[in-house]
Amino acid sequence: MSWRDSLRLATRSLVRRPARTALTILAVTLGTGLLMALGTIAGTADTRVVSQLSKGGPAAAIKVAAAEPDPTQLASDSLRAGKAKNLTQEAVNAIQRAPHVDSVVPILATRVLAIPPPRGSATVPSTEAVERKTRPPDPIFESMVGADLSRVHQLPITLLAGRLPAAASLTEVAVTQGYLDRLHLDVNKPAVVLGTEIEFADPQFNSQDPVQYRGRWFRSTVVGVVAQEVADGQFLVPIQQTQLARTWALQGEGDGGDLPLPTSAYTGLVVVASSLDEVHTVRGEITVLGYATSAPEHLVASVQKYLHVVDIVLGGIGTIALVIACLGIANALLAAVRERRREIGVLKAIGARDRDVLRWFLVEAFAVGAVGGLLGTLLGVAVAEIVGLIVNGYLRAQGLQGVQLGDVSLLFLAAGIGGTITLALIAGVIPALQAARLPARDAVGGA
Amino acid sequence: MKTAPFTLLTLPVPEQQPVPQGAAVRIRSLTHVYGRGAQAVTALAAIDLDVPAGGHVALMGPSGAGKSTLLALLGGLDRPQGGELKVGDVDLAGLGGDALAAYRRRTVGFVFQHFGLLDLLSARENVELSLALAGVDRSHRSRRARQLLEGVGLGDRMEHRPSALSGGERQRVAIARALANDPRILLADEPTGNLDAQTALLVLALLERVHREQGCTLIVVTHNEAVAERADRRVMVKAGRVVG
Repeated sequence: MSWRDSLRLATRSLVRRPARTALTILAVTLGTGLLMALGTIAGTADTRVVSQLSKGGPAAAIKVAAAEPDPTQLASDSLRAGKAKNLTQEAVNAIQRAPHVDSVVPILATRVLAIPPPRGSATVPSTEAVERKTRPPDPIFESMVGADLSRVHQLPITLLAGRLPAAASLTEVAVTQGYLDRLHLDVNKPAVVLGTEIEFADPQFNSQDPVQYRGRWFRSTVVGVVAQEVADGQFLVPIQQTQLARTWALQGEGDGGDLPLPTSAYTGLVVVASSLDEVHTVRGEITVLGYATSAPEHLVASVQKYLHVVDIVLGGIGTIALVIACLGIANALLAAVRERRREIGVLKAIGARDRDVLRWFLVEAFAVGAVGGLLGTLLGVAVAEIVGLIVNGYLRAQGLQGVQLGDVSLLFLAAGIGGTITLALIAGVIPALQAARLPARDAVGGA
Repeated sequence: MKTAPFTLLTLPVPEQQPVPQGAAVRIRSLTHVYGRGAQAVTALAAIDLDVPAGGHVALMGPSGAGKSTLLALLGGLDRPQGGELKVGDVDLAGLGGDALAAYRRRTVGFVFQHFGLLDLLSARENVELSLALAGVDRSHRSRRARQLLEGVGLGDRMEHRPSALSGGERQRVAIARALANDPRILLADEPTGNLDAQTALLVLALLERVHREQGCTLIVVTHNEAVAERADRRVMVKAGRVVG
């Protein structure tokens, strides 16, 4: 008997008992759905928590400072820096070549003088700002952080409003909530600063006595509001902007006075390890190269332990539900074996082998598992989506970034369906063996 | 359900194959016991029996006499526990598992009192199932099933499920299925037990015609004297022994 014949027999057998089949499939669907929904939600929650710990950047990100490491550096997540040490392009290349390093993003932060609106072309719609229209705005002496914004997914940057500056733009800037706070604006309404212009000045030291600086003046439009942990500073720009500022500063005279000259090509790096497990190794390699680092590796490891416990509990609940559903398959098939004793006997009487009967029942278990697994997986993803919508509604009401539950990998979906089918087949083994071992003698009546 | 009279058509002879010859049955000291120890029940107690190839034998006897056990052993549904049982040149005592299943497929055709049709399948599919088990390819099995069903007068009902057929029609489907693989021995267990008198006669006539045209050995278990009288030989079984 071919597989096709077995499938026909199995399908017809299932259709013959529609209520029992529907209930069995429903149980499998609910079990799979629960497992998939819990798996999706737990996975997203894990990612979100780890992402929160790494400030929106990659979980395996390491910040490197332009300073020598303290001997106790590796024992701590925080930066334990010794004396300053220039971060050169050679050092960047050496780190890039180190094992387990996925990427290296250079950072260059410079000091700037910023003059916010109303000197800029747009207005800031706050009472305070309106009042300030009548007098010159207070300048802000802050750090401007330059980074390769074409690789923003490798940086601890979270976009809160608007967009990031274009990768090589010299006329766009993103600001942090600290900037809004300085302007006495509501940090929960970051969009109000979008489109405003800020006037910047990069300082150049000219003389010690009397102390004289001159500025490289330029204007930038605020295109976004971000939360960033790339480096200290309230302005985020493409690294080309801060490289111009460094060049300008170095073209001055003397030692820079109160503003030390930016002798290091970069003020920091964001290094991404190939995985969370490799963060410590990579930090060790960077320490050997002579640079101080910081990464929340111990915190992440500690939190992950607790998250794994939660994952195990949630996965366990889902698995128990699925196992109970599969016991339902076994029960339904055992009932079918009892009902079909004579049919099985007749089948054997006309020449069926034990394995033909075994196949009939296993295909039946497979069909229930496949249909239940498919429906359950779809149900699980749908439930996760609905939970995501509810959670996002809450998070956004709290001014927080939403989560994305819909990004379920095909592998995860395949694992859901495949796992259910496997469990269904396991559940079907005992009834199928029982059916296969029934004597052909059951086809005829008494002695 | 009232059974409509039908006309027997000539049953198809398989293409490119000779008309099969019936198998002779040789039984010596055949013993079969159900259960063990104090629970043991002797179904067959060292019986001897010979049926010539192409013979027509009626097995009679009271309930529990061992008729169905003997039929089951002849059909390879059970393995003999003692003695000798040969059908043609096949020693059934030496067969087991897949070899016994192959014997059932190739040598035996069963007709049951309860018809033994799978209600999951149509009449045609029931006949095809027997051919599928024998490994016949899909196109040939469909053609052969149609021929057989037309041969038993069910050409217009082959797509019906057994539950939609009358008792006589079901038994004719069962006969068509039994003939699917050209059996050398046809075993019928109370084939008219569930049929009214008129239908029973028609089914018996069909079985006898099959026996005559196909040349197979026919062994019928029956309580019915009228059915037994139509056989070449009557064998009376009582308490596990052949008594006449």
